[in-house]
Amino acid sequence: MNRLMKAIGFVVVCFIAAPLVIVVPMSFSDARSLQFPPPGYWLGYYEAYFTDMSWLRPTWNSILIASATTVLTMILVVPATFALVRHKFYGKSVANVMMLMPMAVPHIVMAVGYYSYFGQMRLVHTHLGVILAHSCLSVPIAFLVLSANLKGFDRTLERAAQSLGASPMRTFIHVTLPILRPGLLISALFAFIQSFDETVVAIFISGRDAETLPRKMFDSIRQEADPVIAVISTLLFVVVLIGLLTPYLVKALRGRLRKTNAGSEAPPAALAPQE
Amino acid sequence: MSVNTGGVQGRGQFWPWLLLLPLAAYLLVFFVVPLVDVAIMSVTEPELSLDNYAKVLTGSLYRKVFINTFATAGLVAVCCLLVGYPLAYLMAHSSDRTALLILLLVTMSFWTSFLVRTYAWMVLLGNQGPVIWLMETIGVADPPHLLFTRFSSTLAMVHILAPYMIMNIYTVMKKIDPALVKSAESLGARGFSVFRHVYLPLTAPGIANGLVLVFVICLGFYVTPVLLGSPREQMIAGLIGHQIEEFLAFGLGSAMAMVLLAITMVILAVYHRRFGLDRLWG
Repeated sequence: MNRLMKAIGFVVVCFIAAPLVIVVPMSFSDARSLQFPPPGYWLGYYEAYFTDMSWLRPTWNSILIASATTVLTMILVVPATFALVRHKFYGKSVANVMMLMPMAVPHIVMAVGYYSYFGQMRLVHTHLGVILAHSCLSVPIAFLVLSANLKGFDRTLERAAQSLGASPMRTFIHVTLPILRPGLLISALFAFIQSFDETVVAIFISGRDAETLPRKMFDSIRQEADPVIAVISTLLFVVVLIGLLTPYLVKALRGRLRKTNAGSEAPPAALAPQE
Repeated sequence: MSVNTGGVQGRGQFWPWLLLLPLAAYLLVFFVVPLVDVAIMSVTEPELSLDNYAKVLTGSLYRKVFINTFATAGLVAVCCLLVGYPLAYLMAHSSDRTALLILLLVTMSFWTSFLVRTYAWMVLLGNQGPVIWLMETIGVADPPHLLFTRFSSTLAMVHILAPYMIMNIYTVMKKIDPALVKSAESLGARGFSVFRHVYLPLTAPGIANGLVLVFVICLGFYVTPVLLGSPREQMIAGLIGHQIEEFLAFGLGSAMAMVLLAITMVILAVYHRRFGLDRLWG
């Protein structure tokens, strides 16, 4: 049983890895269409991506929209999370479910809603419209990450600060925030990625003026399967890989630093990738 | 309320609502109102009536699409389980280093956008792709057309959603006390019997979580079926998009959206009552 299970498991590893492995060589291919194995290799499609405004503009739009979404989401979610984790009040469980709702509603349903609603408000095909929509969709993930961090918060530290005479505000700025910083950062990162990857709502409301990268990729795949998509996919892999490895590298680096000058540095907060 | 949480301002009813207010107001205006708009459109476009629902719930085309969506979501959920369980097992019973490498791969797949993975399957299954090439190499005379079929979209969805299943099962497996399996063995139970009566029941919560999550996400899936699936075998989300974009049939599209929403909410509500919604995403 044990061996059979592991053998199948190994096959599944190949299944999971296959798409990730195939796209990278495709991005260096000089074929005009999807062809594997590639007839030859060159960097032409990388050049095409980095010089073509019809690809660079959506990339820039996506970065802009995801950044603004992250800021707006965090401004709304941080106080709400404090209220939900640290206080008991009437209607708390309803509020809790409400925070998770945007994750439960299928995006196609929201897309129909935004298409009509933002149409009336003249927000369709604008950056602002996409930012406002994405901020709703990013709330649940930011909340889940932050509340998990806040629940594990050792409140005796705050009490110690206050018993030493610090005001609530001072305690918050000098004790609570620094301890919570990794959780806040990861929460913001998740909000950013949620917006950067969001496709369905963006397809319906971003239009040509605020076109995001996923929308442009969707259209391109649907029409002609431009090989530039392999380039973008490879670049996105690299970004994800860096994102995943950074916490480990930072940890390893800090560990080494700590060995050389023992005791001077506080132990790093665990930053292992979530999920 | 009698419990003193020892907070900075831990007691009043006023403070928490003040902290919640901005988000609540925001969600009301930019989340609830658009949803209500969909509900209103479903009964007012093109005129005030329930015709849209009558069409969606009784028309043969719509019934076919709903059945197809359910069948696909069920198939994808089961396939994710069949694929995810052995992988989670391999991870939970390997050395730390191997487990970490596989975890990195699964996480990487998880974080890669749906679009990128859909595109990758287009390359893999394309007429000039490696799968066909491999078939020709080993001598399959007339390789079948794989792209834009039910097969290609199902396969890609299994690949895209498998990480959700794997994470859910892996978390549960890691918590199983190896002594339980050992004691079952010492009492005389053998290979499959131990698995069937001890190990499998212990992982059941992870399996249930994974199945619900994959099924629900799959019900509303838009991108992959539209790009990879057969145009003749649409799923609900694809048909909704079609109605809105091609025919500007907001009433019909909205009615379908409301039905999809209702089904999703019923499944999640049952789940919430039994397990709690925040557990679903791990």
